[in-house]
Amino acid sequence: MKNFTLPSEELMGSGHLGCQGCGGALAMRYALKAAGDNTIVVIPACCWTIIAGPFPYTSLKVPVLHTAFETAAVAASGVRAALDIQGNTETTVLAWAGDGGTFDIGLQSLSGAAERNENIIYICYDNEAYMNTGIQRSGATPYLAWTTTTPEKTPKAEPKKDIMAIMIAHRIPYAATATIAHPDDFIRKVQKAKSIYGTKFLHVLAPCPPGWKAPSEWAVKLSRLAVQTRVFPLYEVEDGERYILNEPKEDRALPVSEYLKLQGRFSHLTEKDIQAIQDLIDKRWQRLMRQVRESS
Amino acid sequence: MKKPIVFTSEREMPPMAVSLADMGHNRTGSWRYLRPVYREKIAPCKNACPVGNDIPRILSLVSEGRYEDAWRLFRETSPLPGVCGRVCYHPCESFCNRKNFDEALSIASLERFVADACFDLEDRIPERPKRSEKIAIVGSGPAGLTCAYFLAKDGYAVTVFEAASQPGGMLRLGIPPYRLPREVLDREIELIARWGVEFRTNTKIGQDISIEKLWEQHDAVFIATGAHRGRALNIPGEELAIQGLEFLKAVNVGKTIALGKQVLIIGGGNTAMDCARTALRLGAQPVVVYRRTRDEMPAIAEEIEEAEHEGVQFEFLAAPVALRRLNGKLEVQCIRMQLGEPDASGRRRPVPIPGSDFIMRADAVLKAVGEEPELSFLSEHVETSEGIVIERAHGILERAGIFIGGDAQTGPSTVAQAMRSGKETAQAIKSFLRGERKPKPKKLEEALRVNFSYFVHQPRVPMPHMPVAERITNFSETKRAISSERARAEAQRCFSCGVCNSCDNCWVFCPDAAITRIDGTYEVNYDFCKGCGVCAEECPRNVISLVEEEL
Ligand SMILES: Cc1cc2nc3c(=O)[nH]c(=O)nc-3n(C[C@H](O)[C@H](O)[C@H](O)COP(=O)(O)OP(=O)(O)OC[C@H]3O[C@@H](n4cnc5c(N)ncnc54)[C@H](O)[C@@H]3O)c2cc1C
Ligand code: SF4
Ligand code: SF4
Repeated sequence: MKNFTLPSEELMGSGHLGCQGCGGALAMRYALKAAGDNTIVVIPACCWTIIAGPFPYTSLKVPVLHTAFETAAVAASGVRAALDIQGNTETTVLAWAGDGGTFDIGLQSLSGAAERNENIIYICYDNEAYMNTGIQRSGATPYLAWTTTTPEKTPKAEPKKDIMAIMIAHRIPYAATATIAHPDDFIRKVQKAKSIYGTKFLHVLAPCPPGWKAPSEWAVKLSRLAVQTRVFPLYEVEDGERYILNEPKEDRALPVSEYLKLQGRFSHLTEKDIQAIQDLIDKRWQRLMRQVRESS
Repeated sequence: MKKPIVFTSEREMPPMAVSLADMGHNRTGSWRYLRPVYREKIAPCKNACPVGNDIPRILSLVSEGRYEDAWRLFRETSPLPGVCGRVCYHPCESFCNRKNFDEALSIASLERFVADACFDLEDRIPERPKRSEKIAIVGSGPAGLTCAYFLAKDGYAVTVFEAASQPGGMLRLGIPPYRLPREVLDREIELIARWGVEFRTNTKIGQDISIEKLWEQHDAVFIATGAHRGRALNIPGEELAIQGLEFLKAVNVGKTIALGKQVLIIGGGNTAMDCARTALRLGAQPVVVYRRTRDEMPAIAEEIEEAEHEGVQFEFLAAPVALRRLNGKLEVQCIRMQLGEPDASGRRRPVPIPGSDFIMRADAVLKAVGEEPELSFLSEHVETSEGIVIERAHGILERAGIFIGGDAQTGPSTVAQAMRSGKETAQAIKSFLRGERKPKPKKLEEALRVNFSYFVHQPRVPMPHMPVAERITNFSETKRAISSERARAEAQRCFSCGVCNSCDNCWVFCPDAAITRIDGTYEVNYDFCKGCGVCAEECPRNVISLVEEEL
């Protein structure tokens, strides 16, 4: 009895440099299984710059273009243009960037590509901080989380930037969230993105065990809990207006504390802090439910 | 093994930064301090089953509709699946991991289903070397039958001596046919006989043949004579009451018993419940008189519920103090009780309320206040305490080749416990005959960590019952069989604890692509596995263990 129907082709090889339980590595493995071998991956500065391996090696069985931090979307646009000139519309161009390169440093080039509706898939694997440089806060770091630049005494005071809302505001043909705990959903979304012309954006929650101060074996469990607690609902938005909810389907969510208590980066939280986070999540969930209702 | 690329001069380098090889040279396995290993564990249901039925594997076969294979797997551990599926108190279900998720698997009804579906099948009896050793088994209850089955399978010459006219022990003499139809029992005994077991019925050891004689003529003797002597009430007029078990035996062997309308049953155990329900079927209005309350009744809950359901009345907190005959009726003088301090069994002790005597009238009184072994035929050889063989003597007997088991050793217990004892004795006899020490039972790790995320709630399949009005007029089976569709659906609820069922989760969730699938099994590539432990955590059924790497 299979729980998932994953394509068997393995386009990410072993021996890569991801940490134990790296959510970003698992995300790449699924993304490539879905995208297939006729794919070019564009990677700006991010954990995957390291994970893929140093010169002259690569752990991916598809071509990779490593580029500067702020250029994932624009470099991918260039690769796309070059392929189009060659008459190659078959090859998928996949920009693969972390949260730093998406929420912060690469945002303007991503916005530009989205505004031009470049025919690329852009996947942000979000581990919620600048992890490989030493866990510094990013625009994706959640409210009240610890990072090395937001220490426990003064944890991050700002809520996580709503990157999905930003991308949806560009009215791109397809935007979706995914996690590594739901591989079938993840793969379906990448395949759907492949079938659509224009800029497709996937926001993938990719737990980082060292950065989240959690045991490596919980990488998938944390992703699952993020969905079950509505911290990270799985949904899709077509053409910037049609909202489809995938998970969680239950009427009642687990309390956010179930998710927070497993992670050292939240161990300093007080009851009041947790309630404040819960309120944020409830508000966002209600907004999402409204959007889903209004578009159905 | 892939080697790292070493450039010895600038000229060997490519003109631009382009990769030339994959990361296969980078043995990330050296990062690992915990090693995932596929280590199947014993499911708690199987561990709790006294006969060790391989429940997860059996249920997986049932879920695929492979009933014959399931039946054959049952028969590897038990000769009585049809019996157990009906009357075993299923400790397996009490330990089922699924009860922490929604409801335990309905294991016993599936066992019954499999046995019924395969009613006409025969064991495949292989050619096997005949052994010269002869073994005598005294008593043909579940202990004797099980011991005989496992010895005969190994080629030993087994003779079962039974005082009654037909084999089966309490299964035939005590348990009424509305819970265990006799065709089922007959069929399973017949299959045991096919292995070459000889049954000598109407032969009482200690009367027809002495134990000494039996011992002389055989290489080993197993005494599995059960616990059949009814305990006394020790009150005046006691002789006016009938022993409940004797009543059941009489009815069960087809004698006609006229009890009259009003029947009182003294006691709160399983024998009392069966007496009441049997009396009901003979047209009586039974009332169970018990000295504590319903909560303390030793009968198992399901039996009490069934009795209540069928219309048996209960008089709680009452104990008889004297019996008299008056104008053709029986008069039972009772005293009201109240619950005091807990006794050794943890149940609250009943204490009489002075001056609270009252009279209950009846046509017949059945006493069912417990049974004990009757081992007078052994009296020269064993020491007993309250009818139970004490351990010291037990050891001495074993060294001489005489084994005691089942209810005869423990006092009244259960069918499955008696079977366990029979099975263990078969093993002990084999060791004894080979002059070996008894093998120590292996302690297995239980599969207790189920990842509930991979299962959806689904209620347990209900057991269909015959309507009460149809039940109480006859002795046909009260529980109906479940349909094939329902059986499969129920079996699909099984988590398959501790047993890999090729769900792929480990392969799916490895962030290092270090797990390969080979024909439904999996292999970890330790050259690359970093030991993150995600596979073990996401295995739904606790098959993967993380063990520390040796330095
Ligand atoms: C009314 C009743 C209902 C029960 N219902 C259940 C139930 O639903 N589920 C459950 O798990 N357990 C039940 N039990 C308990 C269960 O039946 C016993 O624990 C089990 O049968 C014991 O098995 P045994 O093989 O040790 O002995 P028995 O089944 O008692 O068999 C002993 C056999 O030895 C024979 N014998 C005795 N002395 C001699 C002799 N000297 N020579 C030759 N043969 C002799 C007897 O005739 C008998 O056939 C019930 C018991 C009773 C009394
Ligand atoms: S013998 Fe009893 S405990 Fe074992 S599987 Fe059967 S019903 Fe369960
Ligand atoms: S779920 Fe299945 S294997 Fe697990 S304890 Fe229950 S019956 Fe046994």
